Amino acid sequence: MLHDFRYAAPRTAPELLDLLEGEGAMMLAGGTDLLPNVRNGVFKPRLVVDVKKLPDSDRIAFGAEGLEFGPAVTLNDVLRSKDAREKYPALCACVHELASHQVRNRATVVGNVMNASPCSDTAPALLCLGARAIVRSKTGARELPFDHFFAGPKKTRLEKGEFLEKVIVPASSAGAKGRYLKLKRINGHDLGIVGVLMLEKDGALSFAVSSAAPTPVLVTGLRKGVAPDEAAAKVLAACSPITDVRATKEYREFMIGVYVRRLLSEGV
Amino acid sequence: MRILVKVNGDTYEREVAENRTLLRFLREDLGITGPKEGCGMGECGACTVFLNGRAVNSCMVLAVEADGATVDTVEGESKGPELSEIQKAFERNHAVQCGFCTPGMVMSVKELLRDNAKPSVDEIKEAVEGNFCRCTGYAQIVEAVLDLTGRASEKGGIGHVE
Repeated sequence: MLHDFRYAAPRTAPELLDLLEGEGAMMLAGGTDLLPNVRNGVFKPRLVVDVKKLPDSDRIAFGAEGLEFGPAVTLNDVLRSKDAREKYPALCACVHELASHQVRNRATVVGNVMNASPCSDTAPALLCLGARAIVRSKTGARELPFDHFFAGPKKTRLEKGEFLEKVIVPASSAGAKGRYLKLKRINGHDLGIVGVLMLEKDGALSFAVSSAAPTPVLVTGLRKGVAPDEAAAKVLAACSPITDVRATKEYREFMIGVYVRRLLSEGV
Repeated sequence: MRILVKVNGDTYEREVAENRTLLRFLREDLGITGPKEGCGMGECGACTVFLNGRAVNSCMVLAVEADGATVDTVEGESKGPELSEIQKAFERNHAVQCGFCTPGMVMSVKELLRDNAKPSVDEIKEAVEGNFCRCTGYAQIVEAVLDLTGRASEKGGIGHVE
């Protein structure tokens, strides 16, 4: 039996913002993090605010600004989008690594980043691709680039009274190729031990690493042809993994180095 | 909250607690017990049903979220005593032992075959990654799908499942 809460599915942003001000209000998108956490007693919401009835919340489209999508767009919606597959293969590679097919039919990219787990699989792509969040409050909307989005484990830089209305992956990143290597025990639902994305665009390389620090890590400023050991050292310098139930700090550091060198030798 | 939901073609209008999962609603309020509760947190896939045509873990969906939606469960597969083609293939290939995972497994396979008429072994394995089977070792499940799609005799088919 789940903890007792009320449910609301607002149809406008002002209505949603009113509801979010309530004591113990929590946002529901795909529910694949929220509901297990409610079941386990980690979260005890008094009100669950469903974002999926907001107009256009499930819209994904490519336009002049780039690929834009709302908070109800699921991981499989991204994988089914021709624009996402053709123009942002690195985003699709990361999204595809997350959990199982059923979970990807429900879980959303916005929910994944709002959860702000260091092991987020979507964050590496959004970081390397230079994506930004559009965050709305009662006083208006502001842009929050993903390299400023994560404040710590399970913490974002959204303020109280704000919600993530839209993600924009810039048009300037379209066509960039990438490859994401995720270390896990089994396919399906497993959380990553570490994950490393390498993105290549016009000879410039960037790396993003999951499960390697309090927040997902972004490393830029490398060029194609960089010595693998030099790249591995630079990526590792930005990481500070911990020892936990999934792996030791030393194993994580070792595998981050292995993955950076492998990505460089095998290419995207 | 009052909800209206179409399950396996029948429309139900019910008052439901807002914290009730779709799985509990199906099993306990409607008596549709094909979907099972294994882990209750989206890992085992025994609760897999279609929600508006997509396979989801019904333990992680609120019943109130399904208001106005279409839900399909394994009960919708057979017509009276006549099993569906997927169910027959499972039976022929001994892809069922205890049967606990089967209602979810069948729904995952159903979505796979709707989008991909002749999936490869790897595609089948990926489609059922979110469905745990502790009896068959999965080989017979993969074989059932290959048998159904006519790929059983191809290289990578029956006899080649690792």
